[in-house]
Amino acid sequence: MAGERRWISPALEDGANVLYLQGRWRLSHVPGIAAEIDALKLAGDHCVLDGSRLEELDTAAGFLLLRRLAALGCIAGTVEVRSMADGHSRLLTLVRERMAAPSVAAPSGHRGALERVGRATIRIWRILQAQVTFLGQVALEIAAALRRPRLFRLKETVSQFETVTLDAIPIVALVTFLIGVVFAYLLGVQAQRFGATIFVVDGVGLAICRELSPILVAVIVAGRSGAAFTAQIGSMKVQEETDAIRTLGLSPIQVLVVPRLVAIMAGLPLLVFVGDVAGIAGGMLIGALQLDISPAAFLARLHTVLPMTALAVGLAKAPVFAAFIALIACRMGLAVARDARSVGEHTTSTVVQSIVWVIVLDAIFAVALQRLGI
Amino acid sequence: METVLEVQDIVTRFGADVVHDGVGFSVQRGEVVALIGGSGTGKSVLLKEMIGLLRPTAGRVQLLGIDVWQSDEEQVDALRRRFGMLFQDGALFSSLTVAENIAVPFREHTDLPEALIAPLVGFKLSLVGLTPETGRKAPSELSGGMRKRVALARALALEPEILFLDEPTSGLDPIGARAFDRLVRALSDSLGLTVFMVTHDLDTLLSIIDRTIALSQGKVIADGPVAAVMRSDHPWIQEYFSARAPHEEGTR
Repeated sequence: MAGERRWISPALEDGANVLYLQGRWRLSHVPGIAAEIDALKLAGDHCVLDGSRLEELDTAAGFLLLRRLAALGCIAGTVEVRSMADGHSRLLTLVRERMAAPSVAAPSGHRGALERVGRATIRIWRILQAQVTFLGQVALEIAAALRRPRLFRLKETVSQFETVTLDAIPIVALVTFLIGVVFAYLLGVQAQRFGATIFVVDGVGLAICRELSPILVAVIVAGRSGAAFTAQIGSMKVQEETDAIRTLGLSPIQVLVVPRLVAIMAGLPLLVFVGDVAGIAGGMLIGALQLDISPAAFLARLHTVLPMTALAVGLAKAPVFAAFIALIACRMGLAVARDARSVGEHTTSTVVQSIVWVIVLDAIFAVALQRLGI
Repeated sequence: METVLEVQDIVTRFGADVVHDGVGFSVQRGEVVALIGGSGTGKSVLLKEMIGLLRPTAGRVQLLGIDVWQSDEEQVDALRRRFGMLFQDGALFSSLTVAENIAVPFREHTDLPEALIAPLVGFKLSLVGLTPETGRKAPSELSGGMRKRVALARALALEPEILFLDEPTSGLDPIGARAFDRLVRALSDSLGLTVFMVTHDLDTLLSIIDRTIALSQGKVIADGPVAAVMRSDHPWIQEYFSARAPHEEGTR
């Protein structure tokens, strides 16, 4: 018999394998026990477990022992138990009954890079498909609300409008103001070299009204309200509130989606206008401090060089961005599965999708309007 | 008999609300004990106080020889490895698969190598009557009964001496509930596990429980084998058992 055996002493008695189990077979000792179990060798497929020196036994240790014995060919019929405490032998019996199933549960979640990219591509396609379906459903609900105005939820819409628009004014004004400052400053540094500082007014006015304010405001709203929509509707889905709405004979789209869609489509152009004003104010501040353009001169110049169409284009883009943000956010909310992680994932996805779509739409607008000569 | 849980003179107040007004009882090793009481009698609160999640206003909880509210954090941490808790809705970690959920206690509290954790997780799943394939699923893909079984497997991972169950059969269909009862009883009998549960389920009480403790108006109003508790003349207990008792007595 080999020297240091703490847990099992094998012996041959009358030609039979006898395993004396000894000590405290607890989970905390399992690494050591497992090593001895793995080193175990038997002559033949019959063995006797002697529990006379066993102090404690738990299921983990018992399971590892029986698993090893099974691997060596000793199964229920050929393992004999002797002088073991009642509790221990009952435990072994339970373990043997329950371990019948093969014990492999290691998650095999690792995928190759190609497979991941492929899956992600298919997912994008699915999202697009679902998005188009959802757009159709929402259009039908809006048509229903137009036929029967009673369906439209004015109170909910107003309350959404307040959170989407009024509460966002400070942050929108701050961000666009700072962008106006940065833009005027950088433009001014260049223009000063040519003594053409007055053109900073043209640049700031055009850029803020036509591009920067709509995009920035849309991104802020996507992050603020889009994420909130998904999280709100997603949590309602988890609590089965959307099912409750449906069983009450109401449409979740009519109750949850349409008010948010209307609120954000009405609110975003207003926020863009706030952004226009704040951005130009930022430019004006730099004009006065850095470029020797007095506010009066700035406004006079702006009056002559900023075409109404630039302002109109900027404001006209806003409801389109808004519709995409609301539709994406609400659909992602309704697509949440019944767990907390899903709410988080969908919220992240809403923000990413919204921002991507805002930029894609802006590019489409830029090219289309150029072609149209606006 | 060894006392593994002793609750003495527990008083709990939330503001002016007195939830417990001197609650006391003890549990011996190997017993399967149920705590019953109407809604709002502070059963779940008491459970949280016993396992160190919520501090009682006054009183003492002695769990496995350690005073839960007088000992330092280190002792309580060591104690936490010696009992398992099954929360009402399972409380599985939704970001992990079933197998990873069960592996959490192994990874956090033992130095077992991964090569041993995987088969042990598989075994724990079969111990609670699930197939190892379940391990790859996410908790959100499981039915209520399966979630409870997985939660039980996780609670049993570290081979606890005491198992606390909070309404283990609520939300299960009668077949699933009885199967869960039998599982708990089998584990208790074979592993020598002490089980303390809060339950509303009369069938559970009448089938697998050794002793019932009834809580009403902040006090223990009855404590003993189910049959003895049923004979109590306290109006709440009378009402509690009257709905089902005649029928149940006939069948069991």
